[in-house]
Amino acid sequence: MDNAVTRSKDITLLEILDRVLDKGVVISGDAVISVADVDLIYLGLKVLLSSVETMEQLRGSPFVGPMQEAK
Amino acid sequence: MKLYLYGIIDSSDRIKDSIYGLEGASVYNIPFCNIGAIVSEINQPIQGVTKGTVLEHEAVTEKLMANFAVLPVRFQTIIDGRDNLLSVMQSYYKDFRDNLDRVRNKVEFGIKVIWPSDKIKEQIINTYKEGNKKVLISSDSPNKRFIRKKFERYVINEEFQKRANKYIKVMDIFFSKFAAEKKTEKLKTENLLMDAVYLVEKDKERNFREAFEHVKSARPDFKYLFSGPWPAYNFVVLSKKSGLLRDSEQADLLDKVTQDQILVGADSI
Repeated sequence: MDNAVTRSKDITLLEILDRVLDKGVVISGDAVISVADVDLIYLGLKVLLSSVETMEQLRGSPFVGPMQEAK
Repeated sequence: MKLYLYGIIDSSDRIKDSIYGLEGASVYNIPFCNIGAIVSEINQPIQGVTKGTVLEHEAVTEKLMANFAVLPVRFQTIIDGRDNLLSVMQSYYKDFRDNLDRVRNKVEFGIKVIWPSDKIKEQIINTYKEGNKKVLISSDSPNKRFIRKKFERYVINEEFQKRANKYIKVMDIFFSKFAAEKKTEKLKTENLLMDAVYLVEKDKERNFREAFEHVKSARPDFKYLFSGPWPAYNFVVLSKKSGLLRDSEQADLLDKVTQDQILVGADSI
């Protein structure tokens, strides 16, 4: 993966997670294979992501990248 | 064969660049009419959500964004085979087409504004006390004091909301000037004054960034989180009619899918 793609922007991993896991096209139907664990894992993440104030607490966590405020 | 779906693009052509997705698999386009589904093959279910897989997913949609209008698909969408994918594309075709038209040549930006809610409240309370000195020092009965306290809380909260509305309105004027669409949320928490996303035409990106810098310099005591450009994650709107195309519409669409189109993706592996 080209890390520059993500590093080149003023973003945080939390912003990525919020979009990739919670936004975008949701396709439903029998053709879509669902993986049971994902919803549960995401629920856990959602709790963390629900408040920007928690970002500070998450700083340094192995799952979370550096928080960047806009320069 | 299971297909991991990254996004829908406004092209049925083969992807010229080499893009690798989850598990390092080649990413290719499976065309349907004049749009395409961007997929890679996947052998086993993804083991949970990890930083790596999320970034790999996002990196694919970002690379696509450079050359196509993209509808990013939710993480971990896996379709059971090419035929099922084409069936999905058929069901959602009109929605996909309409959304691609809306987001073409546009990118999404996220803006979060954090204000010092404690200080704002303190200011409001001080102002309130200043204007109500006589009332506050009078010796009321316990009942009156109780009601007055409740009223004070109401007044303070109203003023708090009023100030939030005012700040958001002013900031939004600057941002909306260069945005085609927007979604704003007020006070998701007391500190998170504004959580907004804007859909901005690519040629207005610079103006939008400048508007942000302007707002930021006007209130340096607030904190800001600016992110983007993103694919239009927050602006995909699927109608409830998806999957309910009339028989005649389905037949029309199927006629447009040629065997050649279906094989384009396979050739590129």
